[in-house]
Amino acid sequence: MIQKIERESAPSRGAFSLSKTFSILPYLPFIIIFSYFFLFPISRLVYVSFLSNDNTFTLSNFETAFKKPYNTGFINSIKIGIYSAGLTVFPGAVIAYFVETRGSSKLRRSLAAMNGVLANTGGVPLAFMFTAALGIQGFLTKALKSAGLDIYAHQFSLATLTGLLVVYLYFQLPLMIIIFSPAISALRREWVEAATNLGANQYQYWIRIGIPLLFPSFIASFLLLFASGFSAYATANALTVGNLPLTPLQIGGLLDGNVSAAQLHLGKALGVVMILISAIAVVPYLWIQRRTSRWSQK
Amino acid sequence: MRAKRLAVAATVAALFTTGLVVATAPAQAATNICKAKNVTEAGGMDALVAAAKKEGKLALITTPRDWANYGAIFDAYEKAFGVKISVDNPDGSSQYEIDTMKTAPKAKQPDSIDIGPLVVAQLTPPGGKQLSSPYQVINWKDIPAAAKDSNGYWYGNYGGKLAIVYNTTLPSVPTKATDFTKPDFKGVVGITGDPTSSNQAFMSVLAASLGNGGQKNLADVTAGLSLFKTVKAAAPLVKVNSSNLVTGTAKVGFMWDFNALGVVPAAKEAGISLKFAYPTDYVLQAPPYINAINAKSPNCANARLWQEFVYSQNKGKTAADLTAADLKLPGSKLFALMQGGQNYFQQSGADPIMSAAMKKKNTLVPSLLDFEVPASAKVVGPPTISDVLAAREQIISSWSSL
Repeated sequence: MIQKIERESAPSRGAFSLSKTFSILPYLPFIIIFSYFFLFPISRLVYVSFLSNDNTFTLSNFETAFKKPYNTGFINSIKIGIYSAGLTVFPGAVIAYFVETRGSSKLRRSLAAMNGVLANTGGVPLAFMFTAALGIQGFLTKALKSAGLDIYAHQFSLATLTGLLVVYLYFQLPLMIIIFSPAISALRREWVEAATNLGANQYQYWIRIGIPLLFPSFIASFLLLFASGFSAYATANALTVGNLPLTPLQIGGLLDGNVSAAQLHLGKALGVVMILISAIAVVPYLWIQRRTSRWSQK
Repeated sequence: MRAKRLAVAATVAALFTTGLVVATAPAQAATNICKAKNVTEAGGMDALVAAAKKEGKLALITTPRDWANYGAIFDAYEKAFGVKISVDNPDGSSQYEIDTMKTAPKAKQPDSIDIGPLVVAQLTPPGGKQLSSPYQVINWKDIPAAAKDSNGYWYGNYGGKLAIVYNTTLPSVPTKATDFTKPDFKGVVGITGDPTSSNQAFMSVLAASLGNGGQKNLADVTAGLSLFKTVKAAAPLVKVNSSNLVTGTAKVGFMWDFNALGVVPAAKEAGISLKFAYPTDYVLQAPPYINAINAKSPNCANARLWQEFVYSQNKGKTAADLTAADLKLPGSKLFALMQGGQNYFQQSGADPIMSAAMKKKNTLVPSLLDFEVPASAKVVGPPTISDVLAAREQIISSWSSL
C-alpha cells in the first residue's frame, strides 16, 4: 500500500518522507534512551570482554570465566535464583489469588502499597534488618533460643546459601504478589459462570480453565523472580566475605577491588555470561507474555 | 527558524570561546609547576605555597576523614593554605582510583592518589604511558628504597599492623591468631571482607598465616587459609565491619591498628565495648599504602604541596593551634611551623613511612593508641611485592571454596 502510493506520486516524495520522519518523532526519546542506556553499554561490554589487557582480541576471558572459582559462582547464582523463585511462586500465587478475589478494595490497596515497598527493599538496609533479627545476636534468634530452638547450633548463618535464601524471600514474595495479581484479576467472573452453566464443578473449572489460563503468567513470574534472585548484589555483598561465590559479587571484586589487579576484562566477560543467562530466562518470558495477552484479549 | 539557528550557533561559539579562555589561563601560569619534579623546580616553598593558594583547590579520592587521621590532615591543610579539599568517593577502592585516572573527564581527575600496594604496578604499565607524574619530596631520602619508585612515580606513605579487635563481653580474650578456633568464639569470628577484593582482608589472611606457623615464608599463606578453614568448619565466617561489631554479630577478627581510634569510640556510643590488641606471638607489618601525583592532575601546585605536607616530618601546630598571624607568614615559614603529615599518621597508630629517620631526628610525636606491640611478640614483614603476588594467587584460587 505504502509502496504503491510512493510509486504513483513520485513528485510528492519530499513531503512523504517528511511525514515519515515526523511519525518517528514520538519514538525518538525512547530510541535515544534505549540506545544510550542499553544498546551502547551492552555492545561496549561485549566488545571489551573479548579484549586482553594489551587490547588485542582474545577468548581467554571466557575460558577463565568457566573455570574455578567463577563456574562455582554461576552455579551458586543460578541455584539461589531458582530456589528463591521456586519457594515464592506458589505461596505468592495463592496469596495474590485470595487478596484479589476475596479481599476488600481497601485491603487490596494497602497490600499493594506495602508489597511495593517490601519488594524494593534491598541492599545494606535489608542486610542490616536481617542481622538484627536473625543474626547470632538477633532478636528472633534469641526468642527462638529461649523457646528451645537454637538455629545457630546447626550451622545456620545469614552468610550461607540458606541464609541468603531466607533474606531473599523477604523481597521475592511481595514481588511475586505484585506481578501475579494482574493475571488473577484478568480471570473473568463470566468464565466461572459460563463453566457452571455448562455443568462444570469447581475442580473441573480450575483444571480445564483457571490453571491453563494462569499457567503462562505463573511461568513468566517464575522467570522474573529467577532473574531478580540471580542478579541481586548489594545484600549478598553486605552479608558475605567471599566464601560463597556468587557471580555478581565476583564481578564487583574484579572491577572494584583493592587486590585483584587488571582483571577488568574478565569481569566484563562474567557480565556477558550473566546477560546471556538472564536472556535465556527472559526470552521465554517475553514469548509467554505475548501468548497470555493474546488469550486475555479474546 | 533561521534566526533561531543563528542564535544557537552564536551561543555555542560564545560558550566555546569562554571555555577556551578559562582553560588556557591557568595552564600558562602553571606550566612549570605541572612538570616540577621537586620543590626547587616548583620555584621553592614560598612560590609553591603561593601558587597553591591561588589555585584554591585540591582534589583527592577515596580518602575518608576517619581513615588513618586524614580528617585532621585535611583541616590543617585547608586552614593554613586557604584551599578547599574535595574527596571523590571516600569509601571507594584502589581500583576505582586507577580507573578514574584512566577514564574520568578532566574535571573529575584527582590531584593525588592513595592506593593499596597490590595495584601499584598499574601506575607504570610496561611499554605503556605512566598514569602518574614523577615527584620527589624534600625528605625523599628518608623513604626506604624498597618503598618507593626510584624515579618518583610512586612512594610509600604509611603502613599498618594488624591488631585483633574483640568484644570485651566474650568469655575469654583472644590473644593470638590460633585463638580464633577456640569454642568460646564460635560463630562470631570473621574477617573484614573478601580477601580477593579487600586489601585489609587480604592482609588479615597473611596475619593469620604468621600466627599459624607460616611466619617463615610470607609468600606462602596456606597456614592462614587453613586457619580460616578450621574456623569456618565450626561456623560460617562473619563480616567484621563496624555495623556487625556494633550489633554483636561479629566479635573477633583482624583490623588495621590505625582505624582503632575511629572504630572503638563509635562502638562505645552504641553501648558496645571493643578492644584492640596486637597478637602476642607474631605481628604483621603490612606493606605501606602508596601516594602518587596524577599525571592528569588539575591543580598542579596543590598536588605537589600536598605531597610535601603529607611527607613533612615536623612536630608543630595542628589546625586548632594556627593563629591569624601564622597564616600571614610567607609560605615556607608557615609550612615549617605546622605539624607534618607523617606525624598525623603516627598519632593514628599507623606507621609513617619515614618513622625510622624521624626517630633518629627525634621529630616523632607519640601515638594516641592505648595498645602497643607486646614484648613477647615479633613484628614480621613487610612482605615484598613478589611475596604478596604469590599469596594473592593462593588466596584467589582457594578462598571461595574454603
